[in-house]
Amino acid sequence: MEPILLKNINTPDSHKVDVYLKNNGYQALASALKMQPDGVIQMVKDSGLRGRGGAGFSTGLKWSFIPKDPTIPKYLCCNADEGEPGTFKDRVIIEKDPHQLIEGMIITCYAIGAKTAYIYIRGEFAFGTKRLEQAIKEAYEKGYLGKNILGSNFDCDIHIHRGFGAYICGEETALLESIEGLRGRPRIKPPFPAIAGLYAKPTVINNVETLSCISHIVNKGPKWFSSIGPEKSPGPKLFGVSGHVNKPGMYELPMGTTAREIIYNHAGGIRNGKKLKAFIPGGVSAPMLVEKDLDTPMDFDSLAAKGTMLGSGGIIVMDETACIVKVAMRTMAFFRHESCGKCTPCREGIDWTYKVLHRLEKGEGKEGDVELLEKLCGNIFGRTFCPLGDGAVMALRGALKNFRDEFVEHVKNKGCIV
Amino acid sequence: MATVKINGKEITVEDGTLILDAARQAGFEIPTFCYQARLSRLGSCRMCIIEIGGQKKLQPSCVTPVMHGMEVFTENETVKSARASMLEFLLANHPLDCPTCDKGGECELQDFVFKSGPRRSPFSESKRRFHDKDKILSPVIIKNHNRCIHCERCVRICDEVVGRTALGSIGRGAKIMETSFMDSTLDCDHCGNCIEVCPVGSWMSLPYRYKARTWDLKEIDTVCPYCATGCQFTIGARNNEIVRVKSKITTGINKETLCARGRFGYNFIQSEKRLKKPLLKKNGKLVESSWDEAISFIKQRFGAGKKTAGIASARHTNEELFVFQKLIRDVFKTNNIDLDSRFANKWVTSSAIEVLNLAAGGISIFDALKAEVIFVIGSAISNENPITDYLIRQTAVDRRKTLILAHPRRFKLNSSANISLRYKPGTEGEVIKGITDFIEKGVFHGNVVGDISQVGEKFKNAKNITMFLGADILRLDNGTNVVAEIVALKGLLKKAGKNIIIQPLFDRCNQRGARAMGIHPLFLPGLKKVKENGMDCGEILDAAKKGEIDSLYILGEDIVSMYPDAKFAKDALSNIKFKVVQDTFLTETAKTADVVIPGASYAEKDGTFTNQEGRVQRLRKVISPVGNSKDDLDILCSIGGFAYKSAKEVFDDIKKEVLGYKDINFDALDGNGALVKGHGAENQGSRVKGQGASEIASASPRNDTSSNPYLDEYPFLLITGNHLFHSGRLSQNDDVLIKLLAEPFVEISEEDAKELGLTDKENVKVKSSEYEAVLKLRVVKGSQKGVAFMPENFDSVSVNQFYKKGQGIARVKIEKQV
Ligand SMILES: Cc1cc2nc3c(=O)[nH]c(=O)nc-3n(C[C@H](O)[C@H](O)[C@H](O)COP(=O)(O)O)c2cc1C
Ligand code: SF4
Ligand code: SF4
Ligand code: SF4
Ligand code: FES
Repeated sequence: MEPILLKNINTPDSHKVDVYLKNNGYQALASALKMQPDGVIQMVKDSGLRGRGGAGFSTGLKWSFIPKDPTIPKYLCCNADEGEPGTFKDRVIIEKDPHQLIEGMIITCYAIGAKTAYIYIRGEFAFGTKRLEQAIKEAYEKGYLGKNILGSNFDCDIHIHRGFGAYICGEETALLESIEGLRGRPRIKPPFPAIAGLYAKPTVINNVETLSCISHIVNKGPKWFSSIGPEKSPGPKLFGVSGHVNKPGMYELPMGTTAREIIYNHAGGIRNGKKLKAFIPGGVSAPMLVEKDLDTPMDFDSLAAKGTMLGSGGIIVMDETACIVKVAMRTMAFFRHESCGKCTPCREGIDWTYKVLHRLEKGEGKEGDVELLEKLCGNIFGRTFCPLGDGAVMALRGALKNFRDEFVEHVKNKGCIV
Repeated sequence: MATVKINGKEITVEDGTLILDAARQAGFEIPTFCYQARLSRLGSCRMCIIEIGGQKKLQPSCVTPVMHGMEVFTENETVKSARASMLEFLLANHPLDCPTCDKGGECELQDFVFKSGPRRSPFSESKRRFHDKDKILSPVIIKNHNRCIHCERCVRICDEVVGRTALGSIGRGAKIMETSFMDSTLDCDHCGNCIEVCPVGSWMSLPYRYKARTWDLKEIDTVCPYCATGCQFTIGARNNEIVRVKSKITTGINKETLCARGRFGYNFIQSEKRLKKPLLKKNGKLVESSWDEAISFIKQRFGAGKKTAGIASARHTNEELFVFQKLIRDVFKTNNIDLDSRFANKWVTSSAIEVLNLAAGGISIFDALKAEVIFVIGSAISNENPITDYLIRQTAVDRRKTLILAHPRRFKLNSSANISLRYKPGTEGEVIKGITDFIEKGVFHGNVVGDISQVGEKFKNAKNITMFLGADILRLDNGTNVVAEIVALKGLLKKAGKNIIIQPLFDRCNQRGARAMGIHPLFLPGLKKVKENGMDCGEILDAAKKGEIDSLYILGEDIVSMYPDAKFAKDALSNIKFKVVQDTFLTETAKTADVVIPGASYAEKDGTFTNQEGRVQRLRKVISPVGNSKDDLDILCSIGGFAYKSAKEVFDDIKKEVLGYKDINFDALDGNGALVKGHGAENQGSRVKGQGASEIASASPRNDTSSNPYLDEYPFLLITGNHLFHSGRLSQNDDVLIKLLAEPFVEISEEDAKELGLTDKENVKVKSSEYEAVLKLRVVKGSQKGVAFMPENFDSVSVNQFYKKGQGIARVKIEKQV
């Protein structure tokens, strides 16, 4: 497949508006502004685009939930928090091709009737923030942002809001709280953001990659988009491969490409000729898979059928030297640190699992610890306030399911044998 | 309506009812931590999770509404084990130091674990520990972070109800901590509502610390003796000693809340300084005497007829005041009887009775707050009536409502108000007139800061309007004019078909009851007009000054400290031949008496108070009067020769004379009290515009524009009132409240402070033509320019010394202290 989202990233000065324009930039915006907003929504619905932030919800459908009443202010929030360990796709777009995102955002605003959009960007992305600021400035100068865009009577402003290092602020309602200046933590749903989101007004929250697809759908049509990859989750997808491979990096491939192809053909296989032990298909919250799962197509539905998820598409590869107990401990250390502390099962449960895993790692495991971990997972799962707690448990369960013996060994041998 | 099946039992409830409430209605208990009816929904503790038929995940019942046809399970094995696991999680990091925790015995965590928790925990890791020693945050608040279960009830009550936002969560995950900024008490009202709502022993009361185990307490429900909001609370006593006050979520209009005075101001009861024996003046000195001697001395010496008088405090019970009134009228044969009531003259108080409809039936605050427009004038309500402030704040959250606050000072409730008006004290009438004129003619005059036209628009567009009228009005010589303006506005609005409620905001617990009991020179019990008008406080003192008063009986009032002109009051009293003071402390006034008789505090007697809504509530005896002091009712009965044996017997007589009390059953009064009914159509206050307004010209702010050397020299109008931590002069005897605020201060606007080059907290000299003192300055942004405020609560600098009789509101200058 020809690169689509990453088409420009190797062009010199790809982040500048002039370069973007030379490559047909802002053409989609011009055509979209000539359509009815509902027509744009329909187009995105028809394309079959599903959100790239993790949950894979139909983007067009999400937009169509926004009330049409023109007197109610509406907002678009671009989720650029990219906090999931193993994930670095949004960063590439932001740094290398920010106008692709901005164009997608303006079209989205037009489609849902929003005049104001926010980009909630991960605090650590200082360079990315600078690039975005520069690009937004250029877009204003060229008249793609501001008042009466391209003579269409449509006004649109984009503001950047920097995060402060909390993973939970990537969760869409926590993100809204954070933009509002409150403590970043999830809200009760319902009401859903489409009805009462930012400042209690209808709001769409989309991932950077999702929004970056929009201009291409408008330019080349929904049919073209849905012809790429599987019927139920079509389109190009950014796969970020990290870990024990020869060529870690960002690969844009059709949705549904198998894990084997990505890891062995594109990322150059396992480094040092070692064997694959496990891989995480979509950021640490996604339960890990093993060798026998390598032929699973990497798309939302096929991975769900395997009990895991596509998530962010950040693939973490581990070779046979990896200690899975340690991986589990490090993963739970992350979630324990990032739990916002609001709900009991996540706050207390994850802390507890971490403490047990830490003991196992140190060689202080006890008879019954593995069962205890399994029981704790059961007591947390499905009872937390937001999906963070569930994600943590899914990750731990993935490790326990595939490598239970390794945990038991840790108890028996008072430490690691890998 | 939605019909749902809960554990097989069918129940029909309103649409949108929470599953939790529906289950409780159906008789099933669901444990909760983060849920609290009056707070925003958090849904975080997950204690209340239940199973819904057809749904895989358990759902929190405290945030999930029922849907028609839903099937809910709250007691099945899945739910039970989930509940137990939630408790297991909460206990994981909980220190389990119950034996040394003040909350033990009434801890919700303890109770739930006992009911549905695991008996053993597999938790064998080290526990989270924030600190070893508990943190003392203030003289009343102590915190143990280790015990916290993070329900955030404290954070929400402080923010949403108290309006302080002194608390928040800091940190994440298991390191989360609910606390104040840097563990300070910046912004804190010391109300202790965080303590009250904390389900565990994380927030605790410092004065109560290690004083008792909860099961050893004798607990009795009674009413707060401070302001006229009339909060219900429960006193806990151990070995005849009062060790705490707590509020109950099920009881009173205040429910779980109280203010600092109510919750922590019980220490004066057992103060060392309480009067414990009668005192008689012998050779110019007060010396202890026996009760017999004191009583017979009074009976012998107290005169009768025109030259006698009685002044009572509105802190006494209906029963005591009724009997006091009988004593003054039936035994001493005079209508010279009045209430301290800010020493407004009888025409002002009488017109206030009319405009406030005190002769009509009581109106519940909750009904009053249903109006779309709520207008408050003449009360720094956040300080004077803190729990009324809470109720208004919670109502004002509703975006369809408009809250308008009119007062010279800026205070806490302003941050919840839609419109704030500022004016100079004394011009309240002009504010009201401005509104009337705007509605009527579209134009208005006057020197009000704020948008009168916006207020007028809101009034015009509303169907229901409630006006709260504060006690400040009663301090005004031109009070009758203010009342006249309110009556005019009310008439105009009524004519336009609007429903108008006018409610009083009183600063003394039984101000409303006192008037109904006939403590007024113009009214008998039930507000029946007297045949021959008596003298009001001011007139009594005037007469005394001229030597025309022989005997005066003062029940619980400190005239020397409170009458606006201390010197005059003292002089006048010294001309009276025989003065009896019945009180709990040796006040400045008591020091001038010929006989001082020690009465009882609110916790040492039975009776009723009538709050500002007109709600009659029971006061219940918790301990016997300290030392040799006596129940005030007993004292009054033995002097007057009345045969009453109990407050209830008096109440039965009240029912005969005060129509509105007729249907109230003394014994049946519970936590909700009973609203009084009307006293009858012919009974009401009377309003005579301008009557009684004395010389106000020299001090009137209306002269501001003309050049007047006196005004130039003393540019500030000095107003007073209660501080949030104090009430009258009573609270200065409370060693806990005094720790919260020990000294008076003077407060001015930021504008004035800038002009004078003064800064917050510096010492300044406050000077009137009568008196001067050095005080700490407080600077408030957004208060009215040219107005200074000083709390009325301290003997050390008594505000009334700055006042001069006949000059209206005192004028002062404020200078840098060098
Ligand atoms: C704990 C947590 C963290 C998340 N972090 C991110 C993130 O960093 N970036 C992101 O795009 N979505 C993140 N999400 C998903 C968002 O909540 C949301 O579903 C997404 O932004 C929607 O955009 P989409 O429809 O375009 O995928 C996170 C979700 C959870 C529960
Ligand atoms: S699961 Fe609970 S504690 Fe964890 S991040 Fe979500 S709301 Fe916060
Ligand atoms: S201190 Fe008490 S009320 Fe506040 S969060 Fe902790 S347990 Fe809840
Ligand atoms: S005492 Fe009152 S004001 Fe202070 S923190 Fe507690 S609830 Fe808030
Ligand atoms: S009581 Fe329902 S979640 Fe806390």
